[in-house]
Amino acid sequence: METFNHIINGFGVALMPINLWYTFVGVLIGTIVGILPGIGPSASIALLIPVTYGMDPASGLIMMAGVYYGTKYGGSTTAILIRTPGEAASVMTSIDGYEMARNGRAGAALAISAIGSFIAGTLGVVALTLFAVPLASTALKFGPAEYFTLMLFALTAVASLSGKSPAKGLLSTILGLMIATIGIDLQSGQQRFTAGIAEFQDGIGFIVVVVGMFALAEVFRGLEKIHTGTSDPAMRITGKLWITKEEWRRSKGPIWRGSILGFLIGILPGAGGTIASLLSYSTEKRLSQNPEEFGKGAIEGVAGPEAANNSDTAGAMVPLLTLGVPGGGATAVMMGAFIMHGIQPGPLLFQNRPDLVWGLIDSMYIGNVMLLILNLPLIGLFVRLLYIPSGILYPLIIAISVLGTFAVNGSMVELYLVLFFGVLGYIFDKVEIPIPPLVLSLVLAGILEQSFRQALTLSDGNPAVFVSSGISATLVFLSAVSLALPFLIPRLKLVKPEQD
Amino acid sequence: MKSDRLIVLATVLLAAIYWFATEQIKEPLIGDPIGPKAIPRLLIIGLLIAAALLWLETMAGAMASNKAVPSETSKQEGPAGAKGYIFIAAMILSTLGYFSVFNWLGYALATALYLYALMAIFNPGKTRANVLTAIGFSFGSYLAFTRLFGAQMPAGLLPF
Repeated sequence: METFNHIINGFGVALMPINLWYTFVGVLIGTIVGILPGIGPSASIALLIPVTYGMDPASGLIMMAGVYYGTKYGGSTTAILIRTPGEAASVMTSIDGYEMARNGRAGAALAISAIGSFIAGTLGVVALTLFAVPLASTALKFGPAEYFTLMLFALTAVASLSGKSPAKGLLSTILGLMIATIGIDLQSGQQRFTAGIAEFQDGIGFIVVVVGMFALAEVFRGLEKIHTGTSDPAMRITGKLWITKEEWRRSKGPIWRGSILGFLIGILPGAGGTIASLLSYSTEKRLSQNPEEFGKGAIEGVAGPEAANNSDTAGAMVPLLTLGVPGGGATAVMMGAFIMHGIQPGPLLFQNRPDLVWGLIDSMYIGNVMLLILNLPLIGLFVRLLYIPSGILYPLIIAISVLGTFAVNGSMVELYLVLFFGVLGYIFDKVEIPIPPLVLSLVLAGILEQSFRQALTLSDGNPAVFVSSGISATLVFLSAVSLALPFLIPRLKLVKPEQD
Repeated sequence: MKSDRLIVLATVLLAAIYWFATEQIKEPLIGDPIGPKAIPRLLIIGLLIAAALLWLETMAGAMASNKAVPSETSKQEGPAGAKGYIFIAAMILSTLGYFSVFNWLGYALATALYLYALMAIFNPGKTRANVLTAIGFSFGSYLAFTRLFGAQMPAGLLPF
């Protein structure tokens, strides 16, 4: 009953005119960012953090969450019209969506994408509403050892699943933890790795790293693309912006299945929307009576993946809000935004700030309705964004990055650091080192080290504390498995034919 | 891949430097039984494990590619890579130039010049649109941030 009251009060917060406005601004920015190829949700949330400093935390977080799930809607538009996913999770939509557009069914592809996204997004938020409290209550029983092992599991899972090489994922994770060790150690008061630079005493700012590694690095890659000249022409929206009865009949099943699959994958650390849409696509192809239509404009190939990558966002909010453990790059930036506003996500958030957490969750219902309106009747307006020259857009993003970073502390050192991390992000992309593990470990490093030291202090330095309870022992086991599996699976595949 | 071997080398080198820097951290005499060096020391081990795993992956990849026919992309890697290095070097230098005059010229002027220079290169032939966007964004954002949000942005040569 108490939870029900909180949910109702949450609607009170979400329906306040100021929060409705910020929900709208968030989903609008999300749609625009999703439509513009190259700029992902992580970069746009990172760029927005400085703008939200003066705002009420609830309003700021509602807006940033709107950007997060809004990008998923917008990403499909670019995938359908120019065969370039506006954000990574729309990659599967670009296969059949673009083929539908070529066959004169761009309107139907955009419509089913928006409808599927709306249904899945809303179902995802319903599931988030139902799962949040039980999971948060369980997490309240966690001690420092359980927390440390939980974060260890999140980090190892993300390291293993991000990118092609688990070793590079691990390297990225460790580099993030190393960056986090710079500054004054809060427990002993000692300086670590500051090299005598006064600005480093407070540590390397989270904003500096994410703006550099996501926004600036993406701009460098985009400008380089212009330099080499590689892009597909945009298709015009053709056909009615609605679907036929037959198309709806074919899409219903994929939307339901995609919604469930996406939500469950979203909860897992490291998996993310791209894997959710990939699995949904392969499931629909396997279940289809006409699998040969896939790749040639099958509506199921748009409906399923779009549903999966939208419900994934609600799934990803479950561990972030209830455990304080983000499972990927965008939710890591979201967690950074929470911390910047002085709010620690996790089980206590549901006890201490029910207005904020339920206001945020309930705003997602409203945001999904707004997104349906923005992405169906108004899609023609947004498509015009595709015609903005990238040569104007990318320099503007650099200027916004500089403005956002400098406006926070007025520090020139931070501007040079943004450039450093921008170049580092660009190099990471070139040598295929994934960036999300670095950002995730940077966000979690503080709590990770604190839990580690607290657990060892309580156990008089005995490391067995990390396997002393069932939960922590299981999490240590899962961490070891998630690290070992990516190395073992290819070897098992290599050995098998020889045995045959 | 050649770049992977360089990453392994760089990781080992970084581990050595980080170890040296870790040993310089002062241990408090009382109050913290674990100490500020514990996590950095674990990270050094983690770095070395990551380097070793990457080395194994590189070796396994090299063995597999010895059996495979060289692909089109691997043939194109050299020139594209060189062009990329020149591009990124030019971007770093121009951005450093922008930062070096940031306080002297002020945010609005320095940003307008930097934006126009980039747009002239990446959006050539649209001088009017480039000039208007560069000036409009720089001065508009300067006024919005200083007047509306109260942010301290350098005015530089500007009287306001």
